[in-house]
Amino acid sequence: MKHFRGTHSQAEGMIQKQPARGLRIDRINKTFGTYRVLTDISFTVVHGEILGLIGPNGAGKSTLLECITGLLPVESGTVGWEDENLSRQRRQQLLWYQPDNILPFAGQRVAATLSFFRRAHGASEADLEQLVDGLDLSPMLNKPLQALSKGYRRRVLLAIALLSRQPLLMLDEPFDGFDLKQSLAVMDLLRQCRTGRTMILSIHQLSEAEKICDRFLLLDQGRMMGIGTLDELRRQAGLSPEASLEEVFLAII
Amino acid sequence: MPSSERLSRFQLARLILIQEIRGLLAAPALWIMLIIVSLLVGYSFIQAVELFSQASRTAKSFPELASGMNPMEGIFVPTFGAYYLTETLLLPFVAIRIIGLDKQSGALKLLLQLRLPPLSLCGIKLAAMGIVWLLSLLPALLVLVFWHHLGGHIYPPEIAVLFAGHGLYSLAVVTIAMFAATISDSLPTAAMICLAVTLGSWVLDFAAGGQSGALEILGSLSLTGMLRQFEGGLLSTTLIAAFLSLSLLFFLLTAIWLHPGRRSAFKLRNSLMVLLALGGLLAGASLAPRYVDLTENRKHSFNPADARALRQLDKTLTITIHLDPQDSRFLDLEHDLLAKLKRCVPKLELHYAATGSTGLFSAAKIDNYGLIEYEYNGRQDQSYSNSQNEILSIIYHLAGMRVTSEPVPIYRGYPLVADARSNRWWFYLILPLFFLGIGIPGCRGKW
Repeated sequence: MKHFRGTHSQAEGMIQKQPARGLRIDRINKTFGTYRVLTDISFTVVHGEILGLIGPNGAGKSTLLECITGLLPVESGTVGWEDENLSRQRRQQLLWYQPDNILPFAGQRVAATLSFFRRAHGASEADLEQLVDGLDLSPMLNKPLQALSKGYRRRVLLAIALLSRQPLLMLDEPFDGFDLKQSLAVMDLLRQCRTGRTMILSIHQLSEAEKICDRFLLLDQGRMMGIGTLDELRRQAGLSPEASLEEVFLAII
Repeated sequence: MPSSERLSRFQLARLILIQEIRGLLAAPALWIMLIIVSLLVGYSFIQAVELFSQASRTAKSFPELASGMNPMEGIFVPTFGAYYLTETLLLPFVAIRIIGLDKQSGALKLLLQLRLPPLSLCGIKLAAMGIVWLLSLLPALLVLVFWHHLGGHIYPPEIAVLFAGHGLYSLAVVTIAMFAATISDSLPTAAMICLAVTLGSWVLDFAAGGQSGALEILGSLSLTGMLRQFEGGLLSTTLIAAFLSLSLLFFLLTAIWLHPGRRSAFKLRNSLMVLLALGGLLAGASLAPRYVDLTENRKHSFNPADARALRQLDKTLTITIHLDPQDSRFLDLEHDLLAKLKRCVPKLELHYAATGSTGLFSAAKIDNYGLIEYEYNGRQDQSYSNSQNEILSIIYHLAGMRVTSEPVPIYRGYPLVADARSNRWWFYLILPLFFLGIGIPGCRGKW
């Protein structure tokens, strides 16, 4: 994948006018029937930060992101932005969530799908061209999404997400399906796009999370086990400054 | 487009509509449906013309039979029977996709994050299905062209009612399919739910055929029964309100249940409110029904002078019928004269006396079997006649009225001996190839 230079002028404009506090999650609880999936989840994400949502499969990461977006109802809890509690309409303006394992408009050409989301998000053609170039999608533009390999599908989904203009971007497993080299390139891309945007990345591969995230929220069985920078989590776990995120995670849960 | 141009809601809606249409045109189910429509419509049309021609040969020899040669009943209703089959059995599979596939693929999660409420999103999807429905009318338009070319007669108001009936029936089927897809976890489950409704409606109408009482009422209220009344050329405000209320009900239920982020209590409360509001609306519409007879032979109407006189009856007209509901005389009376009286007489009471007889050829267990009694303003009369003229005379006599019929144009029928087989290539080859030619690139994602 090539070097990508984003032009998220609108998001940058929004971010410059805002104080440091960004997303505020307060005591979110969620159950499916009698099964409690999320218990009292509270945290904040400051502007421009990349928060890693870390946890094993089934920890409740995707459910938490869907609850924040409003795609799932919560039993209790609020989602706020600055001092404002967010209605569903406001969430549409401020948040964009890219789910994992989706195949939108699978029978249509990639170019048509990307063009649709470009126009729907109000992004420019230059933005799309740069993303297509950066993600090496040019050879795939005339193919239907369903005909692409898993890696290319991931790139298309990433392009759709990065075309969005909301100041908070939430990506579910953005590195899943990429090899090491591709993952590094995607991280590079996300770092370039982070200017003016806040991100929450749901990641179950700890080595990759460690490389890109500023802070980490450790989640296990729907409960928050810790939140902070890697150093803060090491201290919480009573581990040495050299301990990896994996060691910290295993020590805390 | 300049950088970061924010679309208005209208522009966004138009963009999603184009995307939905593109998605539908990429669906093999749509093109298979269109090809089957072409074949079925062509077959039905050619068969109908053949049968109409056979009957017309006799009618041409005996002009008094010609008035029975009505192209609406002889050609268009049987030809549109192919549409009924398609709308009942195939259209649900196309309609289910517009929501079911988005749910399955995850596209719905993205669409719901765009700046449009679920109601608008559902409206856009319904509009996309409307465009598809218009595309499916291509074979029907060819039928009109070919029939006209063969020298056949077309009475536009009757055709308009037929199209309206199928349009409303399709609307109901599509909204039911959308709701089924919304509440189902998979496309097959949604298809089963939708087919259960459409086929159930067909079975109900079939079972109610030739019956009377509750089963007949239920049958006439089924989707198929309501469509049949449009095929008869009678436009009824109650019927239109029923179709629209049913469609609006399922459309609004779809919009309420579509967003997974809404609580079940919210969905249930709003569903109940919609149900009550539309029930009230329908009840209101049925309190003051209006009818427009759009048939060329005015088969649903009395002579204008009779209709005016009957509307002036300000007392209750009571008719007691001593006929078995299965008796063909009863059915004729019920579907023709009594139906017209119900539409004209402001205060009409019908009593169906128990007879114990099982039909024309079985022994009547009561002496007055077949008798029809009339009572108006304390005066009574009775007759065994089924004739419209005789019955109207009795009613006018009881009411002390003298009515002279107005001269009206006599419907002489449109017998035609023609051969439509030369048109078969259009329906069996050219149209299917046309649909294949457009459909294959679409299904391959070329658009």
